[in-house]
Amino acid sequence: MQDFIEINFGPQHPSTHGVLRLKAKLDGEIVKEIEPVIGYLHRNAEKLCEMTFYADNLVYFDRMDYVASMLMESGYLEAAEKILNIVPPERVLWIRVIMNELSRIASHLVWAGAFGLDLGMLTPFFYCFAERDKVLEVFTEICGSRQETNYMSIGGVYQDITPGIVDHIEAFLESFPKRLEEIYKIFVGNDVFISRNKGIGVMSREVAIDYGVTGPMLRASGVNYDVRKAEPYLVYDKLNFEVPVSYKGDNLARFLVRFEEMRQSVHILKQAIRKIPDGPFFNPKAKKSMMIRLRGDGEYYARTESSKGEFGVYIVADGGVKPYRVHVRSPTFKNLSVVQELAKDQMIADMVAILGSVDLVFGEVDR
Amino acid sequence: MSLYSTLLGFFSFLGYPLSNAAAYLFESIFLLLAASLSLVFMIYLFRKYMARVQLRIGPNRVGKFGLLQLIADVFKLVQKESLFPKNRDDLPYRIAPVMVIIGLMLAFAVIPYGSFFYFGSLTVSDTGVSVILLFAILSIMPIGEVLAGISSRNKYALLGALRAVAKDISFEIPMMISVLAIIMMASARTSAPLSIDSIVVTEVLPYGILQPIGISVFLVAMIARASYSPFDMGESDSELITGFSTEYSGMRFGMFYAGLFGSILLGSFVVSLFYLGGFNGPFSGDLGAVWLGIKALILVIISFTVWLSMPRIRIDKFVNFGWKYLLPLAMINLVISGALTLMTGW
Amino acid sequence: MTADDSGQPNRGKDGRTIFNVDRDKLLEFMKGMKEKGYDHLSLITGVDRKDFIEVVYHLHAVERNEYVVVKTTTNNGVVPSVTSLWSSAKWEEREQYDLMGIKFEGHENLKRIFLPESWVGHPLRKDYDLGNVQYINMDSDGEDYATFDEGDGW
Repeated sequence: MQDFIEINFGPQHPSTHGVLRLKAKLDGEIVKEIEPVIGYLHRNAEKLCEMTFYADNLVYFDRMDYVASMLMESGYLEAAEKILNIVPPERVLWIRVIMNELSRIASHLVWAGAFGLDLGMLTPFFYCFAERDKVLEVFTEICGSRQETNYMSIGGVYQDITPGIVDHIEAFLESFPKRLEEIYKIFVGNDVFISRNKGIGVMSREVAIDYGVTGPMLRASGVNYDVRKAEPYLVYDKLNFEVPVSYKGDNLARFLVRFEEMRQSVHILKQAIRKIPDGPFFNPKAKKSMMIRLRGDGEYYARTESSKGEFGVYIVADGGVKPYRVHVRSPTFKNLSVVQELAKDQMIADMVAILGSVDLVFGEVDR
Repeated sequence: MSLYSTLLGFFSFLGYPLSNAAAYLFESIFLLLAASLSLVFMIYLFRKYMARVQLRIGPNRVGKFGLLQLIADVFKLVQKESLFPKNRDDLPYRIAPVMVIIGLMLAFAVIPYGSFFYFGSLTVSDTGVSVILLFAILSIMPIGEVLAGISSRNKYALLGALRAVAKDISFEIPMMISVLAIIMMASARTSAPLSIDSIVVTEVLPYGILQPIGISVFLVAMIARASYSPFDMGESDSELITGFSTEYSGMRFGMFYAGLFGSILLGSFVVSLFYLGGFNGPFSGDLGAVWLGIKALILVIISFTVWLSMPRIRIDKFVNFGWKYLLPLAMINLVISGALTLMTGW
Repeated sequence: MTADDSGQPNRGKDGRTIFNVDRDKLLEFMKGMKEKGYDHLSLITGVDRKDFIEVVYHLHAVERNEYVVVKTTTNNGVVPSVTSLWSSAKWEEREQYDLMGIKFEGHENLKRIFLPESWVGHPLRKDYDLGNVQYINMDSDGEDYATFDEGDGW
C-alpha cells in the first residue's frame, strides 16, 4: 500500500505556459503519474470558422499560435486558396516564405526564453525577447501589428514589401546570427544547464511516431521528417536548406534542433530576400470587394510545417460562401499528449523541464 | 572605543543604570535602522543591476532614478491584506516570517564591522565566542522557513520545506568544517580564536589566499544558505510556485523576501570577514568599516551575477554535490591548513 | 458522397489517396494499414453530413513518406476505436467525441477533453443549438452542472 501526494499544477502556475493543468501524483519528489487537463482556452475556432466567410476566418488562425501567427495564416491559406480555386502570384509565395521564416525565428526565441525560465534562468529570456522584438518591428512595419498580424489574405498579402522593409529585414539578418550565437553560448556554455537537460525526458523514435509527435520534437528523436521537405508547399522546393536531426531524443537534443532550425531559417531568409521576383502582390480575383463572394467546393487538407510541428488545415466546402467544416490538426495538441509518457518516474524539476521543452502555446492546443 | 561606549558617554547625564540602558537601546535602534536601510539599498541595487544585465532600465518612476521605489514597495506591502489559508497551523504560521527576520537581525548584531573615525568600533556586541554565536543564529532562519512550509498546509509549501531541509543539511556540515580550518589557523596566533574580531585582527594573510579550497566551499555554502539561483530549490518559482512562502502575502511575504536579501548581505559580510581580511586594509583604524563595506559590496555584486546567470540545480544533484564534493573538499582543506599551520606557524 | 464498401481508392482534390471503408471492416483495414508501415496516425476528424457522420483518418508512413486518407461513415455516431493501434488516437478520439459526438467503441477513457464534463450537446454538430447559451456552474461538492439562458445566442 503506497500513498501518493496528489498535486494540482495549474491552470495558474508559473511554468505551465498559460492554462495547462496537470493532475500529478507524487511520491516525494518523483512524479508517478500525470494527467494533463486542457481546454481552459477553448474557443471552438472550428465552429466559428463555419459561421464566417473564408476571408474573415484568418483572424481565428492568427489567434491560434499567437507567437507565430504568420505560420498559422499561411497554413490556413494553403487550404483555403485551393478550395476557392485562387492561385496567388509568384511574388506572394516568396513573401509568405519570408514571413514564415521570420515567424519561426520569433517563435523559437520565445520558446528558448521560456525554457530558460522553466529551468530558473532569468536573464536569457530578455535577450531572446530583445531579438524577437526586432522581428516584431518588421511585422509592425509591414502590417501595423506585432502579434496577431492578419497580414496575409486570400490570393495575396495585405501590403507589398517595399525596399525599406527589405532593408530592415536584411539589417536584422546581419545582426541576428551573431546575437543568436551569444544566446546559444549562454545556454550551452553553462554546465548546470547541460546537466539539467542531458538525458532528461528521452523520447524514443517509436514513442514519438506512435503519439503523432511532429516538428522539432520528432526530429530530436531521430526522424528526418519536415513537411517543408516531405511535401513542399509555397516555394520551399526552390530553396536550399537542411533539416536538423538529432538522435538523442532528450531535452538537450530538442534545444539544439530548435537552435539549428533558427540558423537554417536565417539561411532560407537570406536566399529568399535575394530571389524574390517582381510582380503583383495579390490575385485580382480576390480583391477586397470580392472577398465575401468567393465560393469554395470540394475538400482539401493542407499540411504545413509550423514552428511547433505539422500544422494541418482540413476544409470541407459545400459551394457556399462559408466553409462547411474546418478542422485544424494542431501540432502542440499531439506533442502535449506524449508528456504523460515522458514525465513518468521523473522528478518534479525534470517534469517542468520536459514540459518546457515541448513548446506549448495554448491558443493552439485548445483552439 | 566602540559605538556602545560613545553612546554611553553621550548619555552619561542620565546616571549609570539609565545611561547603560539608553546606550543599548539606541545601539539596537541604530543596528535595526542600518540593517533595514542596507536591505532596502540592496534590493534597489539588485533591481537596477538585474535590469542592466537584462537590457532593461529598472525602477525609474518613484523619486530620482527610482531611489524611492523600494520605500514605496515597502509601504505597499504593509498596506496589503494578508491572506490566511484556511487550514493553517495558526501559531507557527504567524511566527515563521518573524523568526526569519529575527534570525537575520540578530546575526547582524554579532558581526564586527571595524572602526569608523569618531565612532570607533561599530561592532554591536563583541563576545568571545562570536563564531559559534553567529552560526547558531544563522540556523534560526531555516527553522522559520521549515515552519512556514509545514504550517501553511499547502502541498507546494510542504515540498518546498522538504527541499529546504534537504539542502540545509547537505551544505551545513562542509560550511562548519571549512570554518573550523580558519579557527585552527587562528588559534596559532590568538588566545581567542572563537571571536571573529580577533581572528580578523591577528591574521597575517587573508585566509582566502591561504585556503583557496576553503573559500570556494564556504562561498558555495553561503549561496546555498541565502538560497538564490542556482540553489533556490526551496522556493523554485517555476516548479513549486514560491515553495515555503507560497501561502504568504503582504508584509509576511515581504519578510521572507527581506530574509533572502539579508542572507546575501550577511553572507557577503561573513565571507569577507573570514576569508578576505574583513576590515583590514590601509588606514583600517579609521576606515575599517569602509573596507568591510567595499569587500562586502563586491561579493554582493558577484552573488547577483551568479544569481542572474545560473539555472536551478536539481535537488538530488545538489544533495549529491554537498555530500560527495563539498564535504571531502572541506576535509582536504582542513588537513592542508593544519599542515600549513604546523609548518609555517601562520 | 456515400461509402464504397469495396475499399477501392480514389483521389481527392488534394491529390491524396482516399479509401472508403465500411465501418464494420474499419478496424481490420486499419490493422492492415499499420502492418503496411503506416505508423503515424496524423489526424482523426469527423464531418457532420446531417444524415450521417463521416469519420476521416489521415495515415502517414514516415519512412516512405506516403500519405493516405481513410474514410468511413456512421449513422448512429459509433465507430470502432483505433487506440489499440496508435496511441495518438487517444486524444484525437476524445476530441472528436467532445466536439462532434462520435462514440469510439473500445476507447478506455472516452470523456470530454476541451469542454466541461457536464456540457450539453456537441458543438460541431450541425444541429447544435447556438441560441441556447450555456453556463457551467460548480456546486458545493465540486461537481459541475450546466444552466441555460435563452438569450440572443449567436
